[in-house]
Amino acid sequence: MKKIDYQELVDSEQALQKRSIFWDPAIYEEELKQIFNRCWLLLGHESQLPQAGDFIRTYMGEDDVIVVRGKDKVIRAFLNACTHRGNKVCQAEGGNTRSFTCSYHGWSYNTEGELAGVPLEKEIYDNLDRERFGLVPVARLESYKGFLFGCFSESAPSLIEYLGDIAWYIDVVADGAQGGLEVVGAPYKTEIPGNWKLPVENAIGDGYHVAWAHAGAMSVVGALGNSRSDNVLGISANNTGVDQSAAVEIVMNTHTVLTTLDGQSGYALYDHPEPVLAHLEKNRANVIEKLGELRGRKIYGSETHIGVFPNVQIIQGLNFIRIIHPKGPGKFEVWTYAMCERDMPEATKEVIHGHVRQTFGPAGLLEGDDGDFVEAITHSAAGYATRQLKGFLGMGMGRKVPWDGPGEASPGLVNEACQRGFYDQWRRTMEADNAYEIIGQIAPATPVAPVTPVLREVRHG
Amino acid sequence: MANAELKLAPVAPVSFDQEYAIGKFLSMEARVLDEERYPEWLELLTEDIRYQIPVAINTYRRTRPGATTLKPIFIIDDGFPGLKQRAAREATGLVWLNDPATQHLRIITNVEVEATDTPDEFLVRSKFMIFRGRRDKDIASHAGWREDILRQTPQGLRIARRTVHLIERVVMDKNLNMFF
Repeated sequence: MKKIDYQELVDSEQALQKRSIFWDPAIYEEELKQIFNRCWLLLGHESQLPQAGDFIRTYMGEDDVIVVRGKDKVIRAFLNACTHRGNKVCQAEGGNTRSFTCSYHGWSYNTEGELAGVPLEKEIYDNLDRERFGLVPVARLESYKGFLFGCFSESAPSLIEYLGDIAWYIDVVADGAQGGLEVVGAPYKTEIPGNWKLPVENAIGDGYHVAWAHAGAMSVVGALGNSRSDNVLGISANNTGVDQSAAVEIVMNTHTVLTTLDGQSGYALYDHPEPVLAHLEKNRANVIEKLGELRGRKIYGSETHIGVFPNVQIIQGLNFIRIIHPKGPGKFEVWTYAMCERDMPEATKEVIHGHVRQTFGPAGLLEGDDGDFVEAITHSAAGYATRQLKGFLGMGMGRKVPWDGPGEASPGLVNEACQRGFYDQWRRTMEADNAYEIIGQIAPATPVAPVTPVLREVRHG
Repeated sequence: MANAELKLAPVAPVSFDQEYAIGKFLSMEARVLDEERYPEWLELLTEDIRYQIPVAINTYRRTRPGATTLKPIFIIDDGFPGLKQRAAREATGLVWLNDPATQHLRIITNVEVEATDTPDEFLVRSKFMIFRGRRDKDIASHAGWREDILRQTPQGLRIARRTVHLIERVVMDKNLNMFF
């Protein structure tokens, strides 16, 4: 097979991305290996698994994964595949259970992943070594302040090393939350016929499309729809005025952040943001004390899109966590989880849930617009000539602003810095020879034993 | 839930004429939506309407509601203002994917009517299929059932409550910006 030339596919100097990266099955196969089999991937949040026996099912790339809290309270993650013949051992999306039983021949596993029952075992096997046939654990499982991540690479850097500077921004959501963060309910799930990279870079950095692609929704929801303001997030509907926001797009090693830096505009799209704004102001002094002035005053409460490479967006303001699961080169699933601060009054939590539903649920007023161009970009790349063309993300190149937090900041919400950061990181990851190169480091000569720096009781199985 | 309440025959049957009128009303409503006459559709709703589309979460049958953190979520949970807002978005002329025009087709069938404890209110169950066609081949379809409370008012029948149950867990469509 001809070696793929990633420098040709993503040209950082000129901010060009060849459109075959949205269509070529050979590139997609490499993505499953280089990205989804090596990077740390978000599995869920500990608040989803409070009790022994609680489990959720998710995906790491296209791999079906069960995350379960065992009888010993330890959280583990396993491939959802019977070790006998490979049928799924769990078909529910979550719940509470004592065991996972395969529907093919009835092999049964406990919540610690051990093979606990084999029908007719004594009669048909001579000394079946049950220990050999436990569910296959995901190689690494670690938590960063409640966010559970898994990784298939034994030799990958630790989660905290992988997150690097983005942890400083995740802290605003995780430590800023009164009583901790809470992910309640099941996620919304939608299947869209497009390439997985397009919704990722759209959500982490495309401020340019907001006023135009979402013009219909922008006119009827939030600050504009309720005549509180003539702009949303500093930009006007239909792009009739220039970006007036104080926002910055920040590119770090591996990850990206877009934040509006005004401490409250995250709630600009809410029809009735008052309860949330009241909570913010009540909690702000605590956040400033914990995280300092810059994060407490300027980031907490701002519309903030934390992009964790490759496929996660933690979005403060809109207040949801989103995971994009690839399903082949031309298809993906969007999973959207509402997130709240645990100690918020129930009524305030309901305002947030209602807002997630209204804006970016499957019938969301804004969500409905994005799937369309994502599909068209993907499917037009079926054309050989079109596939040779290159997309251009040159906006704001070379524009810098002084920034006291981690990463390099570029001014404005209407900017393409985060999207360039994402494709540069994509190229680095596709070219990497090992998991350390993904984060721009050299792999240690002797592999470091996996550790769990944040939450001791979470160990890989 | 719907199935728990379902009896082999209506508990409180209504007259043939009433049932016929309700069937005609639902067909008319479907046509008003197919023809994108959203302001007129809003007139068919009561001001106190509750319109919900719950997500059918895939848990094992043995899992009791509330036994896990998988709490019910809704794709839509709107009162009249929320529905009006959705209709207003459609009318802005700024929803680009509806131009060229989107074609809509709703089939409403298996209509069952029961009287309720409230005079002038009827419990109406129906099944639906909805097809949406755009451009050359961008066709989506959804199937499910509805439980409505229809209220007889001086202006005619009005929808006072609607719960829409879709059979798909993962929404197999770019969006559900439509009324069921």
